[in-house]
Amino acid sequence: MWKTILRRVLVMIPQIIILSILIFFLAKMMPGDPFTGLIDPKMDVNTIAKLKQEYGLNDAPWVQYLNWVKNLFRGDLGMSYTQHMSVTSLIGDRAQNTFWLSLVTIILSYLFAIPMGIIAGRYKDKWPDQTIRIFNYITFAIPGFVAYVLALWLFGYLLNWFPTTGTVSVSVAPGIFNYILDRAHHIILPALVAALISTTTTVQYLRTGIIDNQVEDYVRTARSKGVPERVVFNKHILRNSLLPITAFIGNVIGALLGGAVMIETVFSYPGMGKLFMESISQRDYPVLTALILMFGILAIVGNLISDIVMTIVDPRIRVK
Amino acid sequence: MLFNKANKQNIKTEAGEPISLPPSGFKLVLKELLKDKFAIFSILVLVLILLFTFLGSAFVSKESLDTNILDGLMPAFSSGHFLGTDEGGKDILSLLIVGGRNSIVIGISVTAISIILGLVIGLISGYFGGVVDDIFMRIIDFIMVLPRFMIIIILTTIISNYNAFTLILLISLFSWTSSARYFRSFVLAQREREYVMASKASGSSNVAIMFREVLPNISSMIIIDVVLGIAGNIGIETGLSFLGYGLPASTPSLGTLIGYANDPVNIMSRPWVWLPAVVMLLIISYMINYVGTVFQRAADARQRR
Amino acid sequence: MEKPSDLLLDIQHLHTGFRLKGKFYDAVDDVSLTLRKNEILAIVGESGSGKSTLASSIIGLYDQKNTRVRGDILFNELNLVGLNESLFNRIRGKEIGMIFQDPLAALNPLMRIGAQIEETLYYHTKLNEKERKTRVLELLDQVGIPDPVRISRQYPHELSGGMRQRVIIAIAIADKPSILLADEPTTALDVTIQAQILDLLKDIQDETSAGIILITHDLGVVSETADRVAVMYAGQIVEVAPVDELFTNPLHPYTRSLLESMPQTDVDDEELHVIEGTVPSLDKMMTDGCRFAPRIPWIDATSHEEEPILHEVSPGHEVRCTCYRDFYFKN
Repeated sequence: MWKTILRRVLVMIPQIIILSILIFFLAKMMPGDPFTGLIDPKMDVNTIAKLKQEYGLNDAPWVQYLNWVKNLFRGDLGMSYTQHMSVTSLIGDRAQNTFWLSLVTIILSYLFAIPMGIIAGRYKDKWPDQTIRIFNYITFAIPGFVAYVLALWLFGYLLNWFPTTGTVSVSVAPGIFNYILDRAHHIILPALVAALISTTTTVQYLRTGIIDNQVEDYVRTARSKGVPERVVFNKHILRNSLLPITAFIGNVIGALLGGAVMIETVFSYPGMGKLFMESISQRDYPVLTALILMFGILAIVGNLISDIVMTIVDPRIRVK
Repeated sequence: MLFNKANKQNIKTEAGEPISLPPSGFKLVLKELLKDKFAIFSILVLVLILLFTFLGSAFVSKESLDTNILDGLMPAFSSGHFLGTDEGGKDILSLLIVGGRNSIVIGISVTAISIILGLVIGLISGYFGGVVDDIFMRIIDFIMVLPRFMIIIILTTIISNYNAFTLILLISLFSWTSSARYFRSFVLAQREREYVMASKASGSSNVAIMFREVLPNISSMIIIDVVLGIAGNIGIETGLSFLGYGLPASTPSLGTLIGYANDPVNIMSRPWVWLPAVVMLLIISYMINYVGTVFQRAADARQRR
Repeated sequence: MEKPSDLLLDIQHLHTGFRLKGKFYDAVDDVSLTLRKNEILAIVGESGSGKSTLASSIIGLYDQKNTRVRGDILFNELNLVGLNESLFNRIRGKEIGMIFQDPLAALNPLMRIGAQIEETLYYHTKLNEKERKTRVLELLDQVGIPDPVRISRQYPHELSGGMRQRVIIAIAIADKPSILLADEPTTALDVTIQAQILDLLKDIQDETSAGIILITHDLGVVSETADRVAVMYAGQIVEVAPVDELFTNPLHPYTRSLLESMPQTDVDDEELHVIEGTVPSLDKMMTDGCRFAPRIPWIDATSHEEEPILHEVSPGHEVRCTCYRDFYFKN
């Protein structure tokens, strides 16, 4: 088992190296820098040249890359060109916000998807299954940003049930409990919508898993042992059907990160996705570079987690 | 596993299910489609939307798409502006017609490019297997973990002379991978079939086998991927335009229209600006996806036999 | 004659029908059979003859909604037909053990071998966890698995086909059932392993004096193991006889054709007999007349009975229809 995991971790390393090179040069290709076409037209050419030198923008690209990587290992992602603070601290807060939003989304997503998948599989082609199929169809075909916009409009603006921006109200009452409650109130709408539109794959995998496993020979064996049907379902059918779902967790994380830009923009939620949109409009290289790198690494690590989880839960892989 | 399958077959025959040969892919898929009334309805609606946007674009005057501050922010059903105008005085109905057409054209173009690319690479990778397959799969795995949305957004700001055509190429750059993977798995399954073996034995060249024998046999898979691909790619383009990094500002898109909702005032008090685009996008997306799932169901049913 | 208490299973006029497009078709049609202690009863037939359906009717494992079972399956005066599920679960595993055809598919891939055997002990014995573990090792030893401690911690895919089938047998005999149903237990195995598994079954019978119903299409297996044979065709029993009687004096045309199509090891150049046609599918099965008639069209129609019944030709030897009297092979 450890061998498999180790090998899997080793495969990840070149992926991350290629990713970093790609991202670095992508950022370098961007036209302009914070000093060309500057907001303050009074700044003279010499000062700009001096600043460029200071930021190392005149070095050869590969020198810049190596410096960048060296700094990465020190946890130094450079200074933001526009915010006058280090990228690390700029991203720090935002990353936390994105983390909480993603965590709540994942939990809600499985909270909806697993019961739906079980019901759909158990009552195949009956009304519960058909209802879930329709629901799934609705959530699958809707483009994410449209769902967010409609939810924000309906529940945020028209019905006023949820706040429409930010992570916490300015006027939040004192006390840690109130604070948490207020944050939860801000998180719940985006997380709920994101969770609902991300259930499709899980529901379908679980449903087909249950339907297929029900007719497997080993289930018949369990029944022939006189195991009660409820136990046959939980211990044999359901457990074996949950296997591919655990393997899917990496993709769920990936999809969630991919959607962060959209969801945070619509809900004006100050996470990494929103930061990305702010930075792109200001051409803030160091921040953009750091953000894509983080998102890329998180996606790669997500896949790694999937594989490791799979190795742990499926004995057939464990031995190889 | 092999025995398992054989066993299931036994159960089926024991239950007396008649075993018949599956009819050819395309015919069955078409038959399934015609059986489904909602699918026919969907196709009709899609044709109407196509006519509305493509023919409509011919009648949209250039002025109605121009900025005209004096006519700004007229509500829906105003005289001369059925769906009102935006802040710059552009006619929303005209934007909707031209934007709808643009989004559809881009969705179709991206799908065409990425499916051709995906098909070629999927065929090569699946048919040859081995090292070729390994290399392609590594590359595809890598591209698939990239934060594509962000990279596309950054690239749109880098490319000089950025226009609709470069956007199509940019989206295609990432969307061929899932098609390639999809086709590869089918080719992989077809490779061991007798007809390919027979062709090989009779000395046909690899290219000939791929295009003459394997390709027709995965035709129904191609239809499914095309249909679902168009819906997905329209979603990506409108999403990018929604954020302001899709089609350039001068070219309307459904996404740009929905993007008006990013402004708190617009989303709250001027729904006529963005809501029609939402409705149109939803109809397009649902109808295409519905047709796609009907195809998929037909193909699945055929495989299951 | 044996004492009446030897009777384990008394099947009377069993009909098992499947629903196809809203109608029920009997895959098992009016089958009456008995099974006694210490007896190996073989049920022989092609696929589609209803032999596996018969087995699943006995152990009550069929799709409840789309299956209709009528008649009686008496086990110690308890009728298994229509028995409620919770009662049946006390019979399954405990009184009737089942051995399946494909040993890999029949084991849960995600459960350790030991746990899969233990599961049946958990539901049918009062043993505590430690005693169950000990019993698992005993059972593995009994079915001839070396190093039971190690194997009990392994997963099914780590074992060979023969070993897996031994595990399946260990599960089936764990609660010392009086009846064992073996559905094609050796079909998926190599020839050498087949013989070992059959020997194991016989050994187990010697120890437990269980009655075994052996379902197979392989007449070689039958001649080596069975005491009595029932030949099934299209849902009906067409011939029942003690094994020696059946092999020396087969009567029904179907039995004779089966024997004729059996490969003879001592004759090299003999061509194998092929039975013309196939078993009809369920919805096309005829409901009156001799069901085998369409496959022996050269036999005169008047040879068949209108309503073929089983005729006792000698004690314990019964044959259906009268066509056997006039039957001859075409060439």
